[in-house]
Amino acid sequence: MKKSIVLLMLLISNLAISQNKIFPFKINKVVLENGLTVLSVPFDSPGIIAYYTVVRAGSRNEVEPGKTGFAHFFEHMMFRGTEKYPEQVYNDILKRLGADSNAFTTADWTAYHIVASSDALETIIDIESDRFMNLKYTEEQFKTEAGAILGEYNKSASSPFLPLYEKLQDLAFTTHTYKHTTIGFLKDILDMPNQYDYSLQFFDRYYRPENCAIVVVGDFDQKKLIELVKKYYGGWKRGNYKPEIPVEPPQTEERVGHIGWKGKTLPYLAIGYHVPEFSTKNIERAAIDFVSELLFSRTAPLYQKLVIEKQWVDFIQGGAPSRRDPFLFTILTRIKNENLIDSVKNEIFNAIEELKTKPVPKERLEQIRSYLKYSFAMSLNNPNTVAYVVGNYFQLTGDPESVNELYQLYEKVTPQDVMNAVKKYFTKENRTIVTLTEEKK
Amino acid sequence: MKASKIILLMLLAVAISSAKNSEIKIKELYSPNYPIITFRVMIGTGSVNDPKGKEGLNALTILMLAQGGTKELTYKEIQEKLYPWAARISYQFDKEVSVIIGEVHRDHLEKFYKIFSDLILNPRFDEQDFKRNKDLLLNYIRATIRSGDDEELGKQALVWFIYEDHPYHSPEFGTVEGLNNITLEDVKNFYKKYFTQGNITFGIAGGYPKSLIQKIKKDFSKLPLGKPEPVKLPEPKKINGLEFLLIEKETRSTAISFGFPISINRSHKDFYALMVANSYFGEHRTFNGILMQKIRGQRGLNYGDYSYIEHFVQDGGSTFPVPNIPRRQQYFSVWIRPVENKNRHFVLRQAIRELEILVKNGLSEKDFESTREFLLNYSKLWVQTLNRRLGYMMDSDWYGIEYFIDKIQKELPKLTVEDVNNAIRKYLNFENIKIVAVTKDAQSYMQDLVSNKPSPISYVSPVSQSILEEDKIIQEYRLNAKPENFRIMSVDEVFEK
Repeated sequence: MKKSIVLLMLLISNLAISQNKIFPFKINKVVLENGLTVLSVPFDSPGIIAYYTVVRAGSRNEVEPGKTGFAHFFEHMMFRGTEKYPEQVYNDILKRLGADSNAFTTADWTAYHIVASSDALETIIDIESDRFMNLKYTEEQFKTEAGAILGEYNKSASSPFLPLYEKLQDLAFTTHTYKHTTIGFLKDILDMPNQYDYSLQFFDRYYRPENCAIVVVGDFDQKKLIELVKKYYGGWKRGNYKPEIPVEPPQTEERVGHIGWKGKTLPYLAIGYHVPEFSTKNIERAAIDFVSELLFSRTAPLYQKLVIEKQWVDFIQGGAPSRRDPFLFTILTRIKNENLIDSVKNEIFNAIEELKTKPVPKERLEQIRSYLKYSFAMSLNNPNTVAYVVGNYFQLTGDPESVNELYQLYEKVTPQDVMNAVKKYFTKENRTIVTLTEEKK
Repeated sequence: MKASKIILLMLLAVAISSAKNSEIKIKELYSPNYPIITFRVMIGTGSVNDPKGKEGLNALTILMLAQGGTKELTYKEIQEKLYPWAARISYQFDKEVSVIIGEVHRDHLEKFYKIFSDLILNPRFDEQDFKRNKDLLLNYIRATIRSGDDEELGKQALVWFIYEDHPYHSPEFGTVEGLNNITLEDVKNFYKKYFTQGNITFGIAGGYPKSLIQKIKKDFSKLPLGKPEPVKLPEPKKINGLEFLLIEKETRSTAISFGFPISINRSHKDFYALMVANSYFGEHRTFNGILMQKIRGQRGLNYGDYSYIEHFVQDGGSTFPVPNIPRRQQYFSVWIRPVENKNRHFVLRQAIRELEILVKNGLSEKDFESTREFLLNYSKLWVQTLNRRLGYMMDSDWYGIEYFIDKIQKELPKLTVEDVNNAIRKYLNFENIKIVAVTKDAQSYMQDLVSNKPSPISYVSPVSQSILEEDKIIQEYRLNAKPENFRIMSVDEVFEK
């Protein structure tokens, strides 16, 4: 008896880590006739479900000039109700359920998420399908919401991070829509109240079943879920819009920008290198995720030198987010003194050069692999995070199983791959540098 | 079989004998299948224990443990060990308690526990770590909140302002002058004084081996016995009318926070009535609250508007509060997210007027019912991970109540709308309030407020007649703002001493 308990414990403790698949749960996938994908994951969260609606559209889709920030603005409009469930009724229903409900927009996707009691499943499917199919708002409501967007911009604008990222992306990109941040350029936000018609067009283009997925994680009955989804989403009509996202030409020379900050601040330094899009096949792209760890994890020599030994910076970070199109490997640091900016820059460049000439020890790569696996496994401790992960990999590739393929690719990264990737992408002509310092009076 | 029985008996014996000498409290949340183990070590010490002139000593001491080395290993060596396990050590410090938190996958539990416990029991107190951690706190004040986060600045300054001449006055992260006065010797002495068995609760959650509990008891019994005297808390100073603190800063919008102390916390039955009222008025990060509906929803004046009946710190990107920031004394507060400078007068009028309406009219039966139903369901979502559940359990012990989430389920159904409205009248008010605004050209804001001149706003699009009618009342709403009740501070002075 005792032995079997021990065995069982061992089995469970290995569950998250040692399988071929890093994502330890089964993902059920059903595609309705209209193209809507339904992804569901049974998860041990008694009485609770997480419900995500994933739209594969974000600020990347804002191709027309003057329309930056629209994907995010549109996310706000989705809370303005329908004929069947006007705004206040929709809110009252969610309130009664005691649901935790919100939404977010990124460069590549928009997600509407709810965590609630399992009993609420049908109600959620009813109100969510209704607003995705029958959203209705007046021009007045639209204009009022534009004020809230400006408020959101203003709350972020007191921090140097927003202008830093704005400048970095604006300089690094000439053509692709990653030129602007998700909240959009301020001038476009100020013009939003005048863009009611465009908002209707945005909804018509992207809020279509073939461009979306429903993700359900937690305590639910699969058969019932599919029945309900078919019942409520079955009448949703397919669209046919294919956005043409402009392709960014290669950068050929270093670009540099500076921001003078009104008020006191420590200096900030941001550096961006163009890197390839998310991939489960491109070994160099996987190697770039290792570069992030090799340079900026707490055990990285560069981090140790700048943060712990010399104490020139109070934080430094760097990495390339998973994006559908080629984006940036971004390095960001806050420096303790303006006189140290050049020294910090040189230390970063030296550390990068070293990766081009000196192969990384194999053991170091093993440690990074272990870190990547354990940190991912430890994050999967609640239904909301699991639903987020499934939604994210779906939006990246159309198939959530790509999370497993990514970690399988990580297994194959060699010291040579790292060297190749750094030589190819971390070059002077491929980088953009932005500094932010206190404006001299 | 026999052998194992004997071993078991021996183990038990050890447990009993060590338990005899051990005052260390252990809070267990055992879940055998859960592969992630969490430690939450709560120390009954916070900024109230900072000596005068050394504000920030508690915070710095906690950092020297959570972000320092052990006798055996330097900080750097610890980072190297933890890295492949993706194990995390984090920390929180507040007014009355501080917590050091560890999280690790079960595969590495034993080695991780050794490091984690050594950090607390055998800290290194290295001079270089001291310099780095002190800089971290100083930069948090100078660069992070003063320069980069007007909302946090406003909220922190409100607490500072509410608790003048009170042990809660000094911020939990210290002041610039206080931090600069602290020496490594001070940290060592503070540690010796407060890291005693009676002052620590060791919380543990997940699928850990039961033998670990005995080991924790034994290891932590190396700390000195005893428990320091709790700091006496006087009643907070009475607020006379509307008292203003305007923080002058070059900014494109105005962040506003206001509030006042309340005399109850989770251990009082009225707290649960007030919880319903507060949720109706301004539930955090939802559209349920009146403030949110009227300021943002109907008028689009900012991004959000919320209210609180206890100190609230949001847990990362979630909408829920972090556990383990319990306080004997709490305060009511309203958080108005940045508004355009030209609307700052109007919005403050509107928010205080809404508070007046709440105090005078209370909730309707219908609002009471729907809000109570919301809270009964919503509060179950506050504890979605074992880590958070453990935190809530420890807080419940601290307040001397049953498990908070269960208590909500028990108290709320007993309430009537009269209970809620009585609690509102008893604990909330709209006349004696401390108000903080981070804003540009503070002098002119003060003049506007004192003059009580009308503050009409304009809309980019037509809004309904009923809103315009209400605006006419709001823009003339009288605030009892007297010039002698204003203080204007440059942002560089905030948390300086």
